[in-house]
Amino acid sequence: MRAASEWFKLQQWKPHAFQKETWHSIAAGNSGLLNAPTGFGKTYAIWFGVIQHFIDAKKKVKKPGSNLHCLWITPLRALSKEIENATNKVSLDLNLPYKIALRTGDTSAGERAKQKRKMPEALITTPESVHLMLAQKGYLEVFQNLEFIIVDEWHELLGSKRGVQIELALSCFKTLNPNLKIWGISATIGNLQEAKEILMGDKHQNSVLIKADIKKKILVETVFPDVLEKFPWAGHLGLRLGAKVLEIIHNNNSTLVFTNTRFMAETWFRFLLDADPNLAGILALHHGSLSEETRKWVEDALHDGYLKAVVCTSSLDLGVDFRPVDTVVQIGSPKGIARFMQRAGRSGHQPGATSKIYFVPTHSMEIIEGSAMRYSIENNKMESRIPFIRSFDVLLQYMVTRAVSDGFTARELYDEIHSTHCFNSVSLQEFEWCISFLTTGGKSLYAYDDFRKVVYEDGIYKVVDKRIASLHRLSMGTIVSSSAMTVKFLGGKWIGSIEENFISRLKPGNVFWFAGKNLELIMVKDMNALVRISKSKNGIIPSWAGGKMPLSTQLAASIRHQLNAYHKGEKFDRELKFLQPLFEEQERRSILPDENRLLIEKINTKEGCHIFVYAFEGRYVHEGMAAIMANRLSLFKPITFSIAMNDYGFELLSDQDIPIEEAVDSDLFSSEHLNEDILKSVNTTEMARRRFRDIASIAGLVFTGYPGKHIKTRHLQASAQLFFGVFMEHEKDNLLLKQAFDEVYDFQLEIVRLRNAFERIEKQEIIITHPSKPTPFSFPIFTGRWREKFSSEDIEARVMKIKEQIEKENQK
Amino acid sequence: MKITLNGIELELLPEKAIYIRDTKILIIADIHLGKTSHFRRNGIPIPGKSAEKDYEQLAKLITKTLPENIIFLGDLFHSDYNKEWDVFCAFMKQFPKLNFILIKGNHDILEERHYKDTCLSVVEDRMENEQFIFTHEPLKIIPGNKINFCGHIHPGFTLIGKGLQRITLPCFYFHKNILILPAFGSLTGLYLLEHEKDAAVFVIVKDKVIEV
Repeated sequence: MRAASEWFKLQQWKPHAFQKETWHSIAAGNSGLLNAPTGFGKTYAIWFGVIQHFIDAKKKVKKPGSNLHCLWITPLRALSKEIENATNKVSLDLNLPYKIALRTGDTSAGERAKQKRKMPEALITTPESVHLMLAQKGYLEVFQNLEFIIVDEWHELLGSKRGVQIELALSCFKTLNPNLKIWGISATIGNLQEAKEILMGDKHQNSVLIKADIKKKILVETVFPDVLEKFPWAGHLGLRLGAKVLEIIHNNNSTLVFTNTRFMAETWFRFLLDADPNLAGILALHHGSLSEETRKWVEDALHDGYLKAVVCTSSLDLGVDFRPVDTVVQIGSPKGIARFMQRAGRSGHQPGATSKIYFVPTHSMEIIEGSAMRYSIENNKMESRIPFIRSFDVLLQYMVTRAVSDGFTARELYDEIHSTHCFNSVSLQEFEWCISFLTTGGKSLYAYDDFRKVVYEDGIYKVVDKRIASLHRLSMGTIVSSSAMTVKFLGGKWIGSIEENFISRLKPGNVFWFAGKNLELIMVKDMNALVRISKSKNGIIPSWAGGKMPLSTQLAASIRHQLNAYHKGEKFDRELKFLQPLFEEQERRSILPDENRLLIEKINTKEGCHIFVYAFEGRYVHEGMAAIMANRLSLFKPITFSIAMNDYGFELLSDQDIPIEEAVDSDLFSSEHLNEDILKSVNTTEMARRRFRDIASIAGLVFTGYPGKHIKTRHLQASAQLFFGVFMEHEKDNLLLKQAFDEVYDFQLEIVRLRNAFERIEKQEIIITHPSKPTPFSFPIFTGRWREKFSSEDIEARVMKIKEQIEKENQK
Repeated sequence: MKITLNGIELELLPEKAIYIRDTKILIIADIHLGKTSHFRRNGIPIPGKSAEKDYEQLAKLITKTLPENIIFLGDLFHSDYNKEWDVFCAFMKQFPKLNFILIKGNHDILEERHYKDTCLSVVEDRMENEQFIFTHEPLKIIPGNKINFCGHIHPGFTLIGKGLQRITLPCFYFHKNILILPAFGSLTGLYLLEHEKDAAVFVIVKDKVIEV
């Protein structure tokens, strides 16, 4: 590796073993996946392999045509700049004729045209931009000499539809150059091997998995309250630990405070400023709804070391390194180990430095997660990323993309997409359905011209209508934003965006807290909310829609493991020691659940009969479990339930006695007939309807509006829902409709996990206790606000019953 | 469900309408026809059949009660003119002996010429007889002891029972001489009302009307 050794000598660096291994592997013509932590030179591990290939090939013959030699794909535009700088420095230092340029959504039209005339040797780009390039006429010429595709942060892309976009793009490039070398870079996840296979696709020989033998040290410290509350109340504790968070901020150089939601970020920002006004100007806020300008400013200031602390959401999970940051605080359950480690890794960037992360629980039960987290990190228990399969929405979009540029033939395109992991199980018949959907609108939409996008001419499928082509280019992508209202100052300065239904509840003159400012609504015009700064101290904080993340399988298992460790009296850490009084109270009133015992508590209050089940499987699985149990219980008698859950357990509440003892004896937790039972008990149609909105949008069924001129979400939803209704009624075999249901099963009900949970419980001892009062474990569920319902009673009977109750009440 | 107001018997129908047998008047509020076409015209193509359900319901109701007059308490048509209006006019022609009367609501923004040549008589603001006043929006002041029939609100009511049970249903809401009808159209939402002390609430449960 001449180029590499020359350059490393120049920097007075010594290459890591994994870097050398990668260089040799690339030189041998392999593809592969590199697993390495950030901050140890993974970019260079790949880059010098690419450069060396370029130098060696140049000595032979120069190929005519496009110069483009390497495509570097990152999930984040912010990262692309950093990689551009790092790689350009190499070319400069070694005086190489190897130019690197950016190609992202920010690249100007002029710059793009320049690139088209003369391509640089490498482009740093995003999955969306790659697809946009594929939608240009003559893209084949651009990519004809492409040798390398590097997919950075593959673990981030893998579990999303952007990952599917990558798979599709790769299948196309592999056809252009069968010797294409594909390299992925990934953080540690549970299914690295699978991640590699998916990236390579079918029939791609010679791929290797290289794991860097470097472990980053992570120190987890839980922030304890002064007094243990034995009856935890969700969300109650967080701000009460605010003073301690403030202390952490003061004692460190620069701190990132991660919260799980934008609502929490706004709340904490406000709290910290109120608690210490001296922080004004050196405390900042960063989340996905703020304007790009604001976010950029915060990132730069953080980079330059001007900020003492930033309150942020997952918006800062990824991105460039902020060297000044030496401490990370996580508020509330991080829900997953990989995410927690990722956040911890945002501090201590100097090689060999320890990353320190403080965990601030929001209620006392959550303290156990600090312990579970440490156990998971020590034992390297990481979550797997579940890839999307059979995403017909992305496929339909991609087919139009190919039709917009040079057109495609059915047989060739089918072979290409069939080689991807995502579409490997798609039959020729299903592919033909897609073609007919795009050429005729399919069974239900044939009457509408708008849905006949693609035409068949001379053996090639293509888009001839210029309007359809340009609309398609405008609406490509797989990230469907919940089209939000723009918040602007009267002078026109853009502050950020808030969901429409929050703004619509406000009247002019009302004050709300957003972007760390108190804002008064002046008027709403089109999709803009015009505001000015308000002096009023009280403003409501908007909450954003978006599903609550469930506890990951791995973290849930670790929590059960730690409970078991406590129960068995094995040595336990500070968290478990701290929680001891709570556990003892739990044992006084009931028992402590653990790995081998499933606890069910039956409690009667004036509300009715409560059943609490502690399965420790995360809220989505609990949702499905609760519904299945409700359905199975309803076989004993007509009964109505109100269902509540958190990540640790769930509650069934009914106005009449719940025959739980009887039910447990007759296979309440049997893992048989799960699929049938779930169909009977969960309103999968309603869930699929909600999923369908994104699917319809990605598949190009609903137009999401011209840039900057969004169609109101209400309308968008209404139309996606109407399509859903039409397909349900007239075209049950519509593949997009099926996809909506599949996604509900895979990602919302987490059917695989649900089945595993039932199988696990079958092996457990089930213990029913009858506490006279709520227990520490039941309390946070009991006081939770969100409830689902299930009823097998006739609605008329229910109304009559409530009517009687009201009348009885009135007679008193 | 039958109730008597000002000496006249009214039938509160689970089809979300009121029938006065005495004078053979069928009263219907807030159908909001033309909504799907309205969506479509705003750039959202919808192949929809929801309007057909409304017509089906209406036709059934007419055959069941055999009225001589139908009073629409406003918001008959959701939009400015689109083709669905012609469909509705054709629908009315199927019942040549019926008097169709519309009391205009805030959504009824069709131009005069669209009402011309139809069998629909249009009343600008209100219609009254000895016992009743028909309007779209509830009246603020009601002369004498008359009863005001109106729509506009789309009333709904939530029953709350033991075990945190909640059931939300469309309802007829009678309070201080105002009787608010539920919205007839299938593409309409509910506005939840509180149970005022001296109010009577009649919820619609499947094919029954029940006072709660």
